[in-house]
Amino acid sequence: MLGNLLVSTLMSASVYAMLAVGFSLTFGVARIINLAHTAFYMVASYIIFTATMKMGLPLYVGVVAAVSLVVLLAMVTYKVLVDPMREHETTVLILTIGVALVLQELMFLWFGGYFRSVPTAVEGFTTLLGVRVSYQYVLTICVLIVTLALVWLLLMKTRLGLAIRATAQDREIANVMGMSDSRTATITVGIAAALAAIAGAIVAPLFIIEPRIWLSPLTVVLAISVLGGLGSLKGSILGAVIIALSENLVVFLVPQGAFFKGAFSLLIMIVVLLIRPEGLYGVAFEEER
Amino acid sequence: MRRYLAYLWREFRGEILVLPGRTILFSATAILLILPLLYPHPYLLRILALTFIFAIFAASWDLLSGFVGQLNLGHAIFFGVAAYASAILNLRLGLPIIITIPVGAVAAVVAGLVVGIPCLRLKGQYLSLATLAFPVILMGLVFMFTEFTGGELGVSGLTRLAPTRLHEYYISAFVGVLSILAIWKITDSKLGLVLHAIREDEVAARASGINTSQYKLIAFCLSGLFAGIAGGLYAHFMRIAGPQSLSMLTSFQAIIWTIFGGIATIYGAVVGVFVLFPMLEVLRVAPEIRLLLYAAIIVLVLRFMPEGLAPWVVDRLERECPRCKEHNAFTRRECRVCGTPLRVPLQKTPVSGEHMSGGEGLSASQEGG
Amino acid sequence: MLLAVKNLTVCYDTAMLLNDVSLNVATGELVGVVGPNGAGKTTLLRTIAGLVRWERECKRGTKAGNITIDGEIHFDGQRIDKLPPDEIARRGLVLCPERRRPFRELSVLDNLRAGAYLVKDHRVFQQSLESVYTMFPILKARAGQVSGTLSGGEQQMLAIARALMTQPKLLCIDEPSTGLSPKIRAELFAKIREIAKSGLTVLLVEQDVSLAFSLSTRNYILSHSKVMAEGTSDELMKDEKVRQSYLGLAGPASA
Ligand SMILES: Nc1ncnc2c1ncn2[C@@H]1O[C@H](COP(=O)(O)OP(=O)(O)OP(=O)(O)O)[C@@H](O)[C@H]1O
Ligand SMILES: [Mg+2]
Repeated sequence: MLGNLLVSTLMSASVYAMLAVGFSLTFGVARIINLAHTAFYMVASYIIFTATMKMGLPLYVGVVAAVSLVVLLAMVTYKVLVDPMREHETTVLILTIGVALVLQELMFLWFGGYFRSVPTAVEGFTTLLGVRVSYQYVLTICVLIVTLALVWLLLMKTRLGLAIRATAQDREIANVMGMSDSRTATITVGIAAALAAIAGAIVAPLFIIEPRIWLSPLTVVLAISVLGGLGSLKGSILGAVIIALSENLVVFLVPQGAFFKGAFSLLIMIVVLLIRPEGLYGVAFEEER
Repeated sequence: MRRYLAYLWREFRGEILVLPGRTILFSATAILLILPLLYPHPYLLRILALTFIFAIFAASWDLLSGFVGQLNLGHAIFFGVAAYASAILNLRLGLPIIITIPVGAVAAVVAGLVVGIPCLRLKGQYLSLATLAFPVILMGLVFMFTEFTGGELGVSGLTRLAPTRLHEYYISAFVGVLSILAIWKITDSKLGLVLHAIREDEVAARASGINTSQYKLIAFCLSGLFAGIAGGLYAHFMRIAGPQSLSMLTSFQAIIWTIFGGIATIYGAVVGVFVLFPMLEVLRVAPEIRLLLYAAIIVLVLRFMPEGLAPWVVDRLERECPRCKEHNAFTRRECRVCGTPLRVPLQKTPVSGEHMSGGEGLSASQEGG
Repeated sequence: MLLAVKNLTVCYDTAMLLNDVSLNVATGELVGVVGPNGAGKTTLLRTIAGLVRWERECKRGTKAGNITIDGEIHFDGQRIDKLPPDEIARRGLVLCPERRRPFRELSVLDNLRAGAYLVKDHRVFQQSLESVYTMFPILKARAGQVSGTLSGGEQQMLAIARALMTQPKLLCIDEPSTGLSPKIRAELFAKIREIAKSGLTVLLVEQDVSLAFSLSTRNYILSHSKVMAEGTSDELMKDEKVRQSYLGLAGPASA
């Protein structure tokens, strides 16, 4: 029971953290609320599906294809649609909803509304903390955690990471220090999309694929990044753990809890905001003219 | 009587015919009110009635989010609360429409308080994303108390709005026109001025003695009231109140319509609904790609008209007087109010720093601004 | 000339923030720009650093983006007024901005690293870090601290140090003395003098005329968006009209 709770919390926490970190980075550097963020996750799942089920390619080829195509898609969308509109904050909001809807409808058009699934990479089970866990599950969690650690290293230890963190603080001064903000923003959008795509690709074998699977993670990601503090990485990861834990608790403790786990995580978000209006680690942008 | 008519005609010419934008709005309203008498096709009536209902909904979003700047991503909560309240009162207690819709609207006002109070301390994107949560939480409750709310299926079998389609249409149209005019008046009133000041600079507004919290709550309640009217009408028109009315897409619809039409203008919200909602119906000819086309059209239009459709059109038909800021038809050469020529390029004026004469000004050693 | 600004005019919508401003800075000089609040000093530095043009690009299509920039800016023999700010930084022109603006959530060391973003050679980075630490020992003591929690004086030192880390040819400093106590001010200006002595060219915008004049080789007085007077500190201090109208000093020059 406890083991079950721990394992599934770890799973959802790492998926959510992958999504929320990307969302937060995009918000911090490009200063946009990207409501299409989880749609990229959905598209990645479909690319995996196409590669493995339709074209019979091995899984890892599917993953590579998914990540690179989604990154390309995200960067082009950003450059062509969003970047020129950046000053019109509300318009950008609608543009990202529009992009998400376009992607959803394209998937409906090409794949129909059926539930799809893809094969697992590895077979078999092991016993962890007294729970029977499939190897696929373990593999997924490991890949997610390793990816997160790599992103953390990228941000904290590299030159690009420094540019991303500085731009997220003060775009103008970052420019003065020689960091082109538009270049940094485009790269960040790419990294965020890559994270979403990896999440989508890696968990695809464990979940069903359907064109609307972006909606419910979107609410969760929004809740996490608000709760952790918009633009904060630490906040996103901590928020992901909090939300994942509370969701799983509800599912485990309350009969029919699965129905309102989304509602419950948002309730937690509201409570946190009542105490800390800027979330746990809110970033205050330097005022820019 | 004749003098009164003459007065009306003068007012009409002075207020409506002077500006192309107003003329278009006026003729469109007139056509919408007369056409159904000449051509009472039930399908057309149904679409137009829904359009009016959604126009109230979008305008109420614009009042709160565009005008007061409290960007609400969960506007569906007002719509859904009113829809469910009307439906439950009507079905479980057998109350008539004349009571259920107003009570539903009042319920939405209460929802406005429930959402507004926790949001008072929140700013910017935090506020937007927090508001997103409320309808989802309510949706959780709907699924929890299924015997009361009908769960997935909702509450259905409500009394019709009116016995015939034509009646239903005119009820929606009149309530719609009145509500939208009321919202417009609010934004034009002293209250509107205060609300506008809060959007522009909340700190400054507070510093000049405005109780911003109170005014923001008023905005939440007013917006809730009108969204609630729309929700009640919708429930009785469709004869069902279901969880769909609380969904994220319902909230997003209001945002899409308003921003597409032009945010913070009220008329833009209405134009957005009248263009997009019927368009979505027309697109039924291609059911497979209906939503795809819809989303693509919105994205493309906004990409080239970032301020929205209506301001884009108005920009081309009218020009602002540089001196008194009154609008003028594009055909005029000088301002109709102050007579300033409209075509000459503006003189650039150097900004005046503080005056330096008489010894004051730069301090020799003390702190500057 | 290291920096030559020729007939620069900047308008935000209908307001003219700079009106036909020309200014020269030769290599090795410390040039002061003084003037009352709202004269356009910050706008001048922001335009030189490419930020006004960047702002226009960012706000393109909105009313706030209706900015016109006329005139030419030459730096180190090349025209820079059409370049983006990061490119200008690459040429060796750095701005130490008004209100310091450290990257608040980043540590002091990370701020300095951000300053050295364009310095690819690790040895050069280490050397300039050492020299910055010797100049401002407090920064070394605070290296791990989040810069938003530094005191105002420390933040100003950090801002200057960060600018120095870019290995600039020209350092533009905007109002370093704002909000500092007289003692810290004097210390800070001693450092700026030291920086200038070491051979770095400095363009200093300052409200505090006597402090600025005590350092500078030459000055420009900017008022009402225009250059009103130009000359060495002594010349300007002797000019009766300048003293009265722009420096707020009544009476004839004594001593
Ligand atoms: N983005 C802007 N849009 C419109 N006007 C602006 C903008 N930025 C500055 N101004 C105006 O331009 C004028 C000059 O501003 P600037 O900041 O350059 O003055 P300054 O000389 O640096 O003053 P201070 O000594 O107070 O720092 C001011 O009147 C200011 O209000
Ligand atoms: Mg200044």
